Formats: sequence, C-alpha cells, structure tokens
Amino acid sequence: MDSPFDLPDVRWTPVSGRLVTARRIVSGAGMLALGVLGAGAAVLLPSSWWFLAAAAWVALLGWQLWLAGRQVRAIGYAEREEDLLVRRGILFRSLSVVPYGRMQYVDVSAGPLERWLGIATVQLHTASASSDATIPGLVPQEASRLRDRLSRRGESRLAGL
Amino acid sequence: MSDEPAASAPVPPPAAGEPRWERLHPVTPVLRSWRVLVVLLVLYGQERGRSAASGQDLPGHVEVLVAAAALVGCVVVAVALSALSWRATRFTVDDEAVRLNSGVVAKRQRVARLDRLQAVDVVQPLVARLLGFAELRVEVAGGAGSQVKLAYLREADAQRLRNLLLARSAGLAFEGDAAPEAPEEQLVEVPFGRVAGSVALSGAMVALLVVLAGVVVSVVVTGEVGVLFGAAAPLVGLLGGLWTALSKGANWRVAASPDGLRLRSGLLESRTQTVPPGRVQAVRLSQPLLWRLFGWWRVQVNVAGFAGEGSEAASASTLLPVASAAEARAVLSLVLPALEADLAATQGPAGLAAGLSGTSAEGGWLVAPRSARWVDPVSWRRSGALVTEGALLVRRGRLRRELDVVPHERTQSLLVAQGPLQRRLGLASLALHSTSGPVSPRAEHLALADATALLDEQATRARAARAAAGPERWMERPGA
Repeated sequence: MDSPFDLPDVRWTPVSGRLVTARRIVSGAGMLALGVLGAGAAVLLPSSWWFLAAAAWVALLGWQLWLAGRQVRAIGYAEREEDLLVRRGILFRSLSVVPYGRMQYVDVSAGPLERWLGIATVQLHTASASSDATIPGLVPQEASRLRDRLSRRGESRLAGL
Repeated sequence: MSDEPAASAPVPPPAAGEPRWERLHPVTPVLRSWRVLVVLLVLYGQERGRSAASGQDLPGHVEVLVAAAALVGCVVVAVALSALSWRATRFTVDDEAVRLNSGVVAKRQRVARLDRLQAVDVVQPLVARLLGFAELRVEVAGGAGSQVKLAYLREADAQRLRNLLLARSAGLAFEGDAAPEAPEEQLVEVPFGRVAGSVALSGAMVALLVVLAGVVVSVVVTGEVGVLFGAAAPLVGLLGGLWTALSKGANWRVAASPDGLRLRSGLLESRTQTVPPGRVQAVRLSQPLLWRLFGWWRVQVNVAGFAGEGSEAASASTLLPVASAAEARAVLSLVLPALEADLAATQGPAGLAAGLSGTSAEGGWLVAPRSARWVDPVSWRRSGALVTEGALLVRRGRLRRELDVVPHERTQSLLVAQGPLQRRLGLASLALHSTSGPVSPRAEHLALADATALLDEQATRARAARAAAGPERWMERPGA
C-alpha cells in the first residue's frame, strides 16, 4: 500500500496475515455477543424494526471484517541501521522512529488467541512512556529474531538516558 | 550552611572492607506518627460536631476519658509500629551507590547507583522543620516510587549527606570524610507578591470567582441558603489548589552551583532540590493568558525519576513557578548552556522572542501552512518548530503560549501522526517523546512533507548528538 509517510530508501516489512484472522475473531466474537443480545430482545419484544437492526448488524460486521484486513496491511516496520520504524493506521496514521540506542528493554508477548494462531507481539520500550513501538502479528521465529537483534543493537549503543 | 564537626556525622569514613551501616535519627517514629494523632482528633471533632448539631448533649466525663484513652492507645501503637520499622531501616553510602535496607516482615534492599542519580532533595515538612530535622530523597531514573527516601535525619546531617552524594555522583575527588559543599550563586529570587499575583491570575482563581458568583446569584435569586452547602466541596477543592500553589511557590530561589541547579522553596514545608547538570531532558516555558499582563512565564522541566506522584511530581518538575522573561531566560541558559549562542547564530537579535511570542516564519521557524487554519483557527500561526545546533524548539498556543525545548541528545523517539482532517489538508503533527513529565513537545499541523523530513533529519541529529554526549559523572567532563 502506498503511504504518504514513505521515507526514501526504506523497505517496509508487513506483518503476518494471521493477525487479520486474530482481529476478525475478536471483533466477530464481540458482534456475536451483540447479535445474541439483539436476538433475545427481538424475541421478547417483537417488532418489524428489528429487521432494520439486523441489516445494520450485518453491515457493521462486514465493515469490521473488511477493516481488520486493511488495518493489518497498514502495519509495517523497517529495521534501519540505527533505528526502528513502525507505521500503522489508515484513518489516523502514524509513523514512529525509535533509535536502538534509546532502548531500555524489549517485550515479546502472546495471548491465548495469538498463541493458537502462532503469532506474537514485540514491543520496544524507551525511557519515555509515550514511545510507541509495538509490532503485533509476528510469527514466532521473526519475533525472536527481532527481539535478539533489537537487544543486541541496543546493547552496542547503550547510552544511559 | 556551616558544617558542624565531622564527629557527629552519620556519614561513615570510607572504611576499608565492611561498609558502615547507619540508622536514621531515633526521633523518626514520633515525627512519622504525629499525623495519626491529628487525623484521629479531626475525626473525633467532626463526629462530636455532628452530634452536637443534631441536638445531643455535650460529652460527659466518662466519654472524654474513654476517647482520650483510645487516642493515646492508637498513638502508642502507631509509634511502636513505626519504631519497629525504624529499627529495621539501615543505610550506607559507598563510592558507587547508596544502599537502603528496610522492612520488618518483608525485607527490602535497595541499591541506587550514584552515577544514575537524577536529583537530590532535602525536604522539611513543617513539624520536622521546627524541630530541625529533614528528609533526604535521592531520585534515580526509574519511574514512580524509584526514589530512595531517608527520613528523618538531623538537618545538618542531611545537608552533609547530600554534599557527599553529589560529590561522589559527580566523580569529584575530595579529602577526608566530608565532601565540601559546592559554592553557589543565587540567580533568581521570586518575590512573594509575584507568586501571590500569579496565583490570583491563574485559571483556578477564575474558576473560583465564577463559582462564587454563581453561588451568590443563586442565593439572591432563590433565597435558599442551601446552595452554599452544595457549592462547598468544589470551593474547598479550588481553595486548596490555590493554597498549594501559593505555599509551594513561596520563597522560591534558584541558585547555580557546580552541582547543578539548586532550588529552594516552600512557605511551611521547605524543600531544597539539586538537579545536576545534564539531567534535564526537556524544558517548557508557558504563559497562561492573564500572565501576559505582566509578562510572566513558568519554567518546567522533565527529569527522569520525577514521574507520577501527582502534585509532588508537578512541583518537583517546576524550575520557576513564575518568572519574568529575563529570569526565565537566565535559568534556561543555565539548564541548556549552548542554547543562547545557538539562537543568536540562527535568529539574530530576536533570539528566544520568536519562540515565546512569535507568529511568523521569521528567523527560520518551520511553521504550519495556511491550510492549517481549518483545523486550528485560533493558533495555527503560532504552531511551529525550529532546529538549532543543539536543540529542537517547538512553540504553540495563541492564548496560552508555550515553548518546548528538547536537546537533540535527549530525544527518546519521534512520531508523525495524521488524522483524517489533516490528511485532507496535507498536514501532519510531529511529536517528540521525552521521559515522563510536564513537557510533551508536539509541533501541530505542519505540512506533511516538512513533518516527515523533520522526523528523518531529527533522528539523524539525535544520534549524532548522543554519540558526542559527555559522561554521566559531570565533574569528569572535559572543561567542567
């Protein structure tokens, strides 16, 4: 996808398509709960307006499923010589630059759903709470490779605060 | 502060082998527990007042006796518990670190490396101050609750310990047991009248007046006095906030010493804070709308280790609660010595003024394009960024003016963000991430190409500046 944030000479790595599945399952489960509630209410209070609500529900579900795919495709990262770039978002886009030398620690995490799908999240922490370098949806090999690489680079460029 | 004979010092001579563990002053349990007495008295008073108001009899002798006995019992228990904790607390200082062992049931040992020390505070709450005791707080970068608190010490001992910590942290070589106190030169003393004025012209005061006016109007219109009780809580809250601002800002003095900035403040509780050189991560100068009448500015900083902890953190990260532009500039040039020369080189005589109140691209400021008026009609002209040799300056705000300065080597990470409206107008905002604190620089609504170019260049500049940064022990830097 072409992004207005493209910097020269940067090759973006996309994240795994399994993240799309993960996000679709999460939003689908939420929609299902809403649907069950709505169906229950429709049985108790019959009204022809419920058809409209059902149509809206289907439209919302479709939109969420479609959005998950686009959002995941918008996520990308690039390891440059001295810093890590992370971009995300479609409507609200952002691009962050985190120098390896500022890194304090790296987190790799995976919830039950992520583990089942075989993906993990890598997060880079600096001394600033607002630094935003989270890369979701990495396959485990890539996650551990990235973790090791980031921590090696961080170590070699350690500069206190 | 004149040094007393070293014989009574709690600071051990750097003995060979075993470190000498010191205790806090034995008065600590009492100083820590007197609050219990006050809280209990207030609670009891409230309860009595309520029952008296509802028409019950005044307390009899028996009740007073029982209440007094309970009170004494509670205080004794509080002092005894505190004494146990005091017995378990020991500290020591060596060349590398300050160590604190504490805890009665769960033991805790904390070691804070002196080369990572961010600031040292000597705090004296009212009662401790009257009795000549002080609390020493050693701040290290580690977020909320990372400080090492030594409470209470004799005032002179606290001062001596502070000098020792700063000297060791600076890597200063000195003879004997006691480190010399760094000479200091007073730069700014904020007159009390100005502090009072700044509080009187603050947003909280305006809110207070609005609430008061509302109460008066509604009492007059409805003839009901009950409104007063409803408004009591917000009024007390606002008054409390104003009082805090006044008492923390009173007697504010800033001095320069080789150990860094020394800040003294406080009306009842006094506080002496030392921020060593190179610990300041970012600076903000801000001016609420009404302060423009007198040209006053507030100077705040981000220092790693002051994170969290509400109003305490807020007051710890204030360099000057209210200052004239000249004083603010003097303190700024002390915190960031290279800035003034940089600005003079790129800005000419206008210098800092364009950052403080400028609304144009004059002097090389990167400003928001005209299309930004659709997203920020009031202050789009103010929004801008300036790159100098050593720092990035970001200005914003038409009504409340703000100027943030971040040295290149202190930039943690950078972010360009773009919302849907900005995207339509070809704009983007650039945020610089600093350590936690009041300063969070963000250049709003720059042209997209400018923002991404600045992001890329700034990443390079920050790297170069970091590579050239000096050691953490500031007296070991060349030229120090």
